[in-house]
Amino acid sequence: MSAFDRPRFLRVFVAVFFVFLFAPIALVILFSFNSSRSLQQFDGFSMRWYETFFESESLRDSLIASIEIALVTMLIATVLGTMLAYGLVRARTRWSDTANVLMLVPLVTPEIVAGASALLLFTQVGLELSLTTIIVAHITFSISYVTVVVRARLAALGRQVEDASMDLGATRWQTFRLVTLPALWPAIIAAGLLCFALSFDDFVLSFFTTGESPQPLPVRIWTEIRFGVRPTINAIGSFMLVISILSIGLALLLPRLLGRRESGLKVLLGREAA
Amino acid sequence: MTSAIRFEGVTKTFGDYEAVKELDLEIQKGEFFSLLGPSGCGKTTTLRMVAGFELPTTGHIHLEGEPVEAVPPYKRNVNTVFQSYALFEHLSVADNVAFGLKRRKVAKEEIRTRVGEALELVELAGREKAKPAELSGGQKQRVALARALVNHPAVLLLDEPLGALDLKLRKQMQVELKGIQREVGITFLYVTHDQEEALAMSDRIAVMEEGEIRQCGSPEEIYEKPAGPFVAGFIGVSNLLPGENGGQISVRPEKIWLGSLEPGMSSLQGTVVERVYVGTTTQVIVELDSGVRLVALEQNTASARADDRWEIGERVTLGWHPEHARELQ
Repeated sequence: MSAFDRPRFLRVFVAVFFVFLFAPIALVILFSFNSSRSLQQFDGFSMRWYETFFESESLRDSLIASIEIALVTMLIATVLGTMLAYGLVRARTRWSDTANVLMLVPLVTPEIVAGASALLLFTQVGLELSLTTIIVAHITFSISYVTVVVRARLAALGRQVEDASMDLGATRWQTFRLVTLPALWPAIIAAGLLCFALSFDDFVLSFFTTGESPQPLPVRIWTEIRFGVRPTINAIGSFMLVISILSIGLALLLPRLLGRRESGLKVLLGREAA
Repeated sequence: MTSAIRFEGVTKTFGDYEAVKELDLEIQKGEFFSLLGPSGCGKTTTLRMVAGFELPTTGHIHLEGEPVEAVPPYKRNVNTVFQSYALFEHLSVADNVAFGLKRRKVAKEEIRTRVGEALELVELAGREKAKPAELSGGQKQRVALARALVNHPAVLLLDEPLGALDLKLRKQMQVELKGIQREVGITFLYVTHDQEEALAMSDRIAVMEEGEIRQCGSPEEIYEKPAGPFVAGFIGVSNLLPGENGGQISVRPEKIWLGSLEPGMSSLQGTVVERVYVGTTTQVIVELDSGVRLVALEQNTASARADDRWEIGERVTLGWHPEHARELQ
């Protein structure tokens, strides 16, 4: 037996993996509290870069724009994605298989292609680039994420439960409202918050489809960096990280808080509830 | 007696596949009626057409005398117990059982009484607040049963309801189901592929194969007088022998005598080739001089002695009373 078979080696490997994964992030957070402008040397704790961030009106506008985009994307993509999932799982046509594969295309399309094609479309149609165009672009790719998560849940739920509901006197709509939707909630919430996180930190699509002002935060940061890296970036980055972690954390926790036995992690990974 | 369900030339096709062919059948009120057959024989499709989940391609189904083709599932006076239970996981046991009554806007007070009675009937009183995930398989099936029975349907449809339970629990539930049916007096239409289950519970059985009914009758009739080779083979064990005019003769193993015969019995010679001990009986497999193999049963009763039994290689005379041999075409 070689040393490589031993769990100890694997433990070290996992530890190193996490160090490489989190060390750069930890550095960004640390230097966001640096009292000096230095990006190499920590000179003491201060909140000055956060103050600069929140005092800048244009940065604040960008933050608000990003949150707005993420919220609207989340709401619309969740509704549309759930409807798509329902249709894909429950419709019995010879096109179902094709549709089930085609809906994965946005997940594998390079973002550059998606962004460029969205820009091309908006210009052709004569739509002026604004927050709306970003939202439309974000919804387009978010729908697929919602559909994948909700579809797995719906397939696990099975058809018999809905049959049972109609058998007991519930109409189609009552069945959806009283039986299907309650069973899907954990998946829908998890998928929605995932959309929020993805939309909130998306750069490529936003870059292609954004108007002049306000620009979403990631695009704004990129613009800033072109004129030299300033420590404010660390503060903005740390702040965005917190929002992303919060939304993913909620996605994992909310199903539990709603009194479900399964965790959001299982729902997101598409695992069947026990 | 009046009819609960009547099928009139009902055919159901899925694409090119004929699941049910020209079904004519009448089920009486208060009957425990089983549709029995191997998977793919059309029994579940037949049940789903009564529930309203599938529509007949041609023909008519009458529920209590009324045609129901145009009636959606949620307006039919039938309820279903599914094999997978199909409980609503997010609702408590009591809310699961109350689901149907609430849809029909029954008064709150009455709902509470009836839910209590239904849970009492299936011996689940006290578990009202439990969620389905906290229950065992047997308990879940009881909830599913209560949830259907509480609506007092004209017909209760049961789709292999005991299929997911282990053997011991299944035997116990068979007895209970039969008792509950007798108590509530509701017509049961029971779908199963388990011949023992059908024989044990049913008033009448329809044996189905390839979308058609091969025989319909009481358990005794089906077992003792199988109408054809399929029924004889599917229900219990049958010995099939070539008959005189090209047909086949079927004799049940327990009807075959070994050794000393009575006058008037048909008699054949053979050699014991195998003994299979199965507890209460031992199967003795005899090869006739014609090469056909038959199964006979030896009872392992208190009077049976270990040194007095048929051993492999022994010559044996066997026979049966003529009335126990059934000619099949």
